[in-house]
Parts: sequence; structure tokens; C-alpha cells
Amino acid sequence: MARRISTPLTDDVVKTLKAGDNVLISGVIYTARDAAHKRLVALIEKGEELPMDIRGQVIYYVGPCPAKPGMAIGSAGPTTSGRMDPYAPILMENGLKGMIGKGRRSDSVRNAMVKWNAVYFAAIGGAGALLSKCVKAADLVAYEDLGPEAIRRLTVEDFPVVVVNDAHGNDLYEQGVKEYRIK
Amino acid sequence: MIMEPLDLYADIYDLVVKCCTDISPDVKKIMQNAIEVESSPTARSMMQAMLDDVKLAQEKDKPLCQSPGFPAVYVTFGDGTRPGNIKELFAKALVTATKNGYMRPSMVHPLTRSNPGDNSGVRVPNFEFDYVPEQEFLDITLSFKGCGAELGNAMKIFTTAQLGKDYSGLKRFVLETVTKAGGVPCPPIGLGIGIGGQMDVACRLSRRGISTRRWDDSNPDSLYASLESELLQAINRLGIGPAGTGGDTTALAVKIEGASTHTAIAPVAISFHCWTARRAGIRLYPDGKREEIL
Repeated sequence: MARRISTPLTDDVVKTLKAGDNVLISGVIYTARDAAHKRLVALIEKGEELPMDIRGQVIYYVGPCPAKPGMAIGSAGPTTSGRMDPYAPILMENGLKGMIGKGRRSDSVRNAMVKWNAVYFAAIGGAGALLSKCVKAADLVAYEDLGPEAIRRLTVEDFPVVVVNDAHGNDLYEQGVKEYRIK
Repeated sequence: MIMEPLDLYADIYDLVVKCCTDISPDVKKIMQNAIEVESSPTARSMMQAMLDDVKLAQEKDKPLCQSPGFPAVYVTFGDGTRPGNIKELFAKALVTATKNGYMRPSMVHPLTRSNPGDNSGVRVPNFEFDYVPEQEFLDITLSFKGCGAELGNAMKIFTTAQLGKDYSGLKRFVLETVTKAGGVPCPPIGLGIGIGGQMDVACRLSRRGISTRRWDDSNPDSLYASLESELLQAINRLGIGPAGTGGDTTALAVKIEGASTHTAIAPVAISFHCWTARRAGIRLYPDGKREEIL
């Protein structure tokens, strides 16, 4: 059974999430990939304000397709999270509570999740058309020049993800592989 | 003779749209069979979601994945069936499909990362031309290969000794590479392995095998065929599973392509393919007849 949660994420909710939990997210999440992350971190390092308040928020690593007429968004599945690893810890230090993507995270990101009480979810890679059904609205927030890589505010309903890394140091990629590995 | 049928552009544009919105029927069938035998309920529901995704993309005429991946075109031709200006036709079809919402603009400068916004670019798509003098038709196969999958690719120049007894060195390299990639290449994966030639030959063969062959075919070379089946079974014991979150279905196919090499070397290249096996092809005859390549 999937558990329903809504954003922004509180510390209490984050603490109750466990690696392997199936979760349906509703509320606002933000899109960002490599180029947008690079700019956000540059702003933090200069002590300048970010284009959105990331405290309690969730970032979805995605570069969606353009929307067809009458649709909020085009196909929108997760991209490889590891590319955002160099930027993720400083965002968590500044209040980011959740990330959605695919694939394993670095040790420094996993340590930062424990330290700053944050969580990493995986969505099904490749299932972009299916996932886009859960996106009810998409609004440009910043960096329009980045095209599909611009930061957008997505309003999602029951967006299906699984908890990969929880704030207690558990990792579904390790647990799941161990469970199904045949020696 | 140069083959340039008048409406070839329409055929090419259709191949592009098909690659955006559908995966090959053989892969759907393998995935359906895998769902029947997969022991993890989460893995089963994930694979069902993948098939649902393709169905939805078909119904709504929209891309099944937000990323078109890297477009590559494989062309084989003979003396009487030389392709005309298909490079320009493909470039135009990609730009048009992007304008029509089928493709996210994803082709960028390799260093500055600037994006022209229409999937145009230097060496886009990636062409491979194969000249087979006596071939009496022209084959054009388009493949969209995901680039999260490309992140896991690996290449190594082995020596004879490093290949190991019963090719144990090669097998270890393959299993370690798949383990390291984990959930990044969007498993269940297809794995292409190119062996021999020089470095570039092994790399191209690894990509070609998994991008152009049916995933349910069997290799006519008995040694490669037995290695393909042994490696597929070994990979599916790793436990990585769909999306990397655990399960019995890590790979749907392993395809090996070989070329003769030099006594001093044994190049081995590995190309990952995500589960979205987006490939479409057409066979053209000089008399204007056309056949779909599956």
C-alpha cells in the first residue's frame, strides 16, 4: 500500500519515511537539472537569494518535454540523480527536504541526508508519459533560457515514487539488491 | 544507382515519430513474460507501469519518455542501392519532430552545453553506413538510445591472458559494469557487448548489436550465442531489478557482436540500453517497394 504525503515536507514526516516505502506525493515540487543546480549553488555561495524558497521543498530531477495543447506538461520522467550529487548537499544544508530522480547517490549526498534530515525518492525511469498524468500545473520559476532545464513549479497529485534513501541512512538500492541477489 | 524515392522524407519522419512513441514489439513481449515470472511484487508493478506508459504514449500520440536519447541511424546499402541525401532528410525530420512536440531539445555543444533548441547539431543524428556490394535493397534503421544508459558504458582493452579461462575475465568485467551502473540505465536493460577490432570497432559493435537486433533473436555464432545466454542469466542473478530497487529482472537481453582483432589485443566494449527499446526501420527496393524492418 502506498502512503500519501504532501509537500512541503516537515521534519516529522521525513523522519517517518523508510527506504522501500511506496509514496504518493501531492502538492508543489520544483524541477531542476545540472545547469539550474549550478546556478542555485552559485547564488548560495554568493549569499544571494534563490528564485524560490527551498525550505521544506522537493526537487524533481527532470527535463520535461514541451506540453501538448490542453496539457500541463509533456512527458516528464526522472533523469540520472548522480549528476546533481556535487550540488545536493549544500541545498539540503539550506533546507531542501526531498529529491526525486533515478539511480544511486554519492556517499556525501547520503551522509548529508542523514545530517540534514532529508529523503531521496526514485520515480520509474523512462515512464515519462505515465508520470506526466500526475502533473496538474507547471509554471516557470526561473532560468527560461535553459529551455527544458529551466526551474518550474509543478503541482502534482499522487505522484508515485519509492523511498530509496531515508534520513536514517538506509538505502533501498542496497537492500533490494541484497534481497533478490542469487549467490 | 542512387535510391532517393520522392517521398522518402515522409518515411523518415514516420520512423522518428514511431521511435518517440513506441518500443519494439519483441521487447514488449519479453517484458510481459518477465512480469509472469518476477518474484518481487514491486518489480512486477514497475514493469506493468512501463508497459502502461508505452500504451498511454501510443493513445495520446506523445513521447513515452521525456528524453529522446541519442538518435542513431544504421544504413546498409549495395552497389545498386546507394542512399541519397538521407543525412539532410533525417536532420530535418528531427528538427520538425521537435517543433511538433515529439522530442525534447536535448542536443547540446559538448563543452559549452549551449542548446540550439531544435535537436540540430554537429553529427546529429549519429550515422553508420555499411556497404554490402551485392545487397539489393537499402536498409535504414533508426534507434533512440537513452543517455542515462550511456552513463554506464565501459570499454577495456584486454590481453589474451586477461580474457581468462572460459573468458572469466570478460564475464567479470560485464558483471562488475552492470553492478556499478545499478538503477541508472533504467533497468530492465538490454546489454550490447562488442568484442574485437580496434577500440572504436568494439564500441560501435556494442551499440549496434543492442540497438538494431531484435531482443528475442539468437546469435548465429554458437560461441556468442552461448555467452549471451550465460551472461543474461548471470546478470539476472545480481538482484538489481527494474529501476534498480531489487528484483529478478535486471536485463531483458544481451547481444554480442564480434570482429577479428590483433593478436596483442582483445577490445571489449559494453553499451547499456534502457528498457525503452525505441527502434524502427524500413527496407527499400529499387522498384519502390517498401518493407517495415522489425
